[in-house]
Amino acid sequence: MVIGDYMLAGLMAMLTGMDRVALIQFMISRPLVAGPLTGLVLGNPLVGLEVGMLLELLWLGRLPVGAAIPPDDTQVAVGATVLALSMGPLIGVSGMPLLILCVLVAIPLGKFGQVFDRLARQVNDRLALNGKKALAAGDYSGAERTHLLGLVSFATASLATAVMIVLCGSFILSLTAPFLIDAVREAGLSLQYSLILVGAAVLLGTINVNRSISLFCAAFVGTLLVLWLR
Amino acid sequence: MKEIRLAWPVLLRIFFRSFLVQASWNFERLQNLGFFYLLSPGLRSIYGDSLSRDVCERHSAYFNTHPYFSPLVAGTVLRLEAKAHAGEETTIDAETYKQMVMGPFAAMGDALFWGGLRPLAALIGLLIASQGSLWAPVVFLVLFNLPHLLFRSGGLLLGYTQGLRAIETVQKCRLPDLALRLKESTIILIGVLCAYLSFKGCEHQDLSAVWGFVLLPVVLLFAWLAHKGVTSLFLVLLTTLSLLLLALLF
Repeated sequence: MVIGDYMLAGLMAMLTGMDRVALIQFMISRPLVAGPLTGLVLGNPLVGLEVGMLLELLWLGRLPVGAAIPPDDTQVAVGATVLALSMGPLIGVSGMPLLILCVLVAIPLGKFGQVFDRLARQVNDRLALNGKKALAAGDYSGAERTHLLGLVSFATASLATAVMIVLCGSFILSLTAPFLIDAVREAGLSLQYSLILVGAAVLLGTINVNRSISLFCAAFVGTLLVLWLR
Repeated sequence: MKEIRLAWPVLLRIFFRSFLVQASWNFERLQNLGFFYLLSPGLRSIYGDSLSRDVCERHSAYFNTHPYFSPLVAGTVLRLEAKAHAGEETTIDAETYKQMVMGPFAAMGDALFWGGLRPLAALIGLLIASQGSLWAPVVFLVLFNLPHLLFRSGGLLLGYTQGLRAIETVQKCRLPDLALRLKESTIILIGVLCAYLSFKGCEHQDLSAVWGFVLLPVVLLFAWLAHKGVTSLFLVLLTTLSLLLLALLF
């Protein structure tokens, strides 16, 4: 990857990051979309799709309500896609094992997102105060402009998270990949499926519906029987 | 004085501004400035040069609701403001209305959009993605955003045309029941996805699909742990380390 690619990835990080809270909430921030979009601008959307698939369900049950800030799965998807496309040649690994390694390294680094997001909202506290001052002075347009400045806080927080994930992720990958890659290759498909299944289990555990266990078991058993007997 | 009706271009501006209602989301007053930004074109049309600081400050106080419900609230608030400006009597004023509905609408929106529609659309997208199709994100976005955009635009029109009666219309839609049905559908799809992955896993390992049933109690155990507050990160680390250890040993 060249500098231009990293800049494109940075732009994608800011765009998808703003979609989480500040801009539209069109859901391009979901890993299933943010991953392929990042892959698309970097020339390989399928890698992004695989990354998005592995991450989509993990924090889907964490609702972005009120002051609750879930881990930044958007930047985990963007960062893991960038890592998968940039680190392969450097550490001599390719394909699904590389992808799984990148996702596993990026997941804990999503915690950075919570820190930066909190900072962005604290900066916005000041903006809200400035907006109130502008209104008190009768400068209504000024208050509107102050409101829009909040986008900069959220975009900066997203970019900072993506940069931290890519920088720390590259460092961790270059240190650990030689030791882990054989085990990851061996566990391959099980690891890939287990990430999706953990996400599915977490989602199942966080949905508050009375009959959830019976509905889940009926759907699971029914589908597996159909697949087995067909 | 005759009640001022907002022109279509003004309503259109309010609709597009609703996409930015959370741009300056902050811990102290949440969507306060965003709600003023949303109302601003309407307030300027209603009050013109007589728009007072008092009105603006009233609408930049603490406010928080689901972002997709904000056009609905804004529509009603503007109608109430127009009536107040025309000197008409209303049962409650705009300020009281905001305070009254923001909490219930936030809860309804969270359950319907974040807890119901989004997981359902994501699971359909995931099932398509599991076939390696790049249509998955497109399908997800369409499934989620068609209702989302209809709700935003319809909400603004409903709030503005019906005023306070919009609350009755929302009640008649029985959104909490709809959210529950969406959640139940999501759970069924989680079951389908888990069964499909366990079948593919058995196929890959040349095992009979009967072994796939072993996964059922494992998923249920993890769901129980998540319900008890164990984080996704911990469950990922636990699973990964166990699988890597097994791969190294055998």
